[in-house]
Amino acid sequence: MNLLTDKFALITGASRGLGREIALAYAKENVRGLTLVARTIEPLQKLKSEIAEITPKAQIALVQADLSSPADVERAAAITLEACDGSLDVLINNASILGPVPMPFLLDYPAEDFQQVLQVNLTAPFLLIQNLIGAMIERGGSIINVTSDAGRIGYPGWGAYGISKFGLEGLSQTWASELVETSVRVNWVDPGSMNTAMHRDAEPDEDPSAWANPADVTEIFVLLASDTGAHIRGQRFEAQSDWRQTLSALSVGAEAGAPWATKI
Amino acid sequence: MIAPTISLPNSHSDSHSHTFYLPPELNADRPPERRGLARDHVRLLVLDRKTGEIKHTRFDRLGEFLRSGDLLVFNSSRTLPATLIASAPQTDVEVRLAERLPDGSWMALLKSTQKENPITPDLLLDFGLDLTATVLSQDERIPALWRLRFSKSGPDFLDRLYRLGEPVRYRYLSSPWSLHYYQNVYAQRPGGSEMPSAGRAFSWRLLFQLRRIGIETANVTLHGGLSSYLDDALDRQHIASEEEYWISKDAAEKIRRARRKGGRLIAIGTTVVRALESMAQQGEIQAGHAYTRLRITEDYRLQLVDGLVTGLHEPEASHLDLLTAFVPANTIHRAYAEAIGHHYLWHEFGDVNLIV
Repeated sequence: MNLLTDKFALITGASRGLGREIALAYAKENVRGLTLVARTIEPLQKLKSEIAEITPKAQIALVQADLSSPADVERAAAITLEACDGSLDVLINNASILGPVPMPFLLDYPAEDFQQVLQVNLTAPFLLIQNLIGAMIERGGSIINVTSDAGRIGYPGWGAYGISKFGLEGLSQTWASELVETSVRVNWVDPGSMNTAMHRDAEPDEDPSAWANPADVTEIFVLLASDTGAHIRGQRFEAQSDWRQTLSALSVGAEAGAPWATKI
Repeated sequence: MIAPTISLPNSHSDSHSHTFYLPPELNADRPPERRGLARDHVRLLVLDRKTGEIKHTRFDRLGEFLRSGDLLVFNSSRTLPATLIASAPQTDVEVRLAERLPDGSWMALLKSTQKENPITPDLLLDFGLDLTATVLSQDERIPALWRLRFSKSGPDFLDRLYRLGEPVRYRYLSSPWSLHYYQNVYAQRPGGSEMPSAGRAFSWRLLFQLRRIGIETANVTLHGGLSSYLDDALDRQHIASEEEYWISKDAAEKIRRARRKGGRLIAIGTTVVRALESMAQQGEIQAGHAYTRLRITEDYRLQLVDGLVTGLHEPEASHLDLLTAFVPANTIHRAYAEAIGHHYLWHEFGDVNLIV
């Protein structure tokens, strides 16, 4: 499995859940290098040694960062740019926070928490892309934003998280249209319900065994990062639906109808 | 208004004197975005190399002065937060990183806050967050510079530098602008002590627009050092520093192609001129990594570069000497007198000059 041998990727929120599984999936494709970003460094160190077992040659940089701080975002970007020699291939904006749990109604949401959720889930992806685009635009690259069903439907009780994902969907579409003339592609993926610590926090009364293992939804993330996915841009995918159908529609030119896939 | 005074060239010197009075209100004390302008809406003074004609316009109209097939060459160096404060026994020391040496040590400008406790070799500087540095030796040519060895290297060093450092800032600023104001939109690998500011006015919108009319772009990397050693007498000597630069395969190929097809090479910044001309002196346009000490003045015959986008330079700045390789000194002086008369703004957040 060598789909990513020449790729250097940055993954935020890599210490657990989906971010961690994407990192492992990329390792299995013999990724050239990874920058792994998370709030705490210890789980990243453990992940780094697991990756080294899978693909010893991969260059791995770890960054402890609180993405609610623009200075931390800038630091994560700088360490990545140094690690990848100024040429980044893949950026995965995966990190997100839920805010206070149990999630209060938006009507009851503390303003400070609201802001923090938007900082991490929406402003950080904006700043990361802005900081890193210079290193992607020359050789082309793939940006993948992790979104959610809660970014399309305003479910009661999903508070700032849902709103941040609505924002991320808009951010993805706008970036995709602004970058349409470049070889940087922007796509966004809703991974669906997964059995992760965050989802268990969000819906403590539900049965997590009904949800997917995050390790089982990484295929689309590999495809979008690889050269096989080089023609896919401006698309929203649902990792647990039949996304191959979206892909085959693409090959007959369905993307032309999407405003974010048209020229600005 | 104070009339600009521009001195005549000094015929007894191999270099021109470029003395003029720069009224303090012409220091750009804030980024254009913080004075109500888009970053690409700063002013552009266009100087025609052939006719000496001067035009005043806005930076986002740059494309009107370029031709399809021209190649813009940028310096993609990303600005570091290169100013650190350290505590040392009995004094605090301001450290401004100037240059990373091949062995991983750094040249840095060191300034003790207490004159009675000067910098000495073996001094241990403590920056906090487990980062220290040992002062090794004083530079022979530039006494304000010292060689330092930090206790961390690679990503760990960068991590601490970004947590502790601030961008190199000068006195004319109205506020301590944060690091992101000191980045060009296209910046790549971090390593510059100061922003390659000639490219600051480029926005992505403008870059895409230029591409649509057939203007190509290429990147070289040259991590610029400090523009001032905070010592007027020392700064006046214009000691040529050695600069390290990288030219990628992609950039070399684009340069060769532009030359072959008759496109002009436009350097974005004086550092790019030095890197490209140094490469030209090797005889061949090829990718590589090298050091340059090339000093470009009036007598230098440009081999590769046809045009230049640059900021407005301070009186006496050695960059002004470099401009005389493109146009005669009296043309520069005339343009600068007009720039002052038209209230152009100087320095990294200021207005721009195209010489082509």
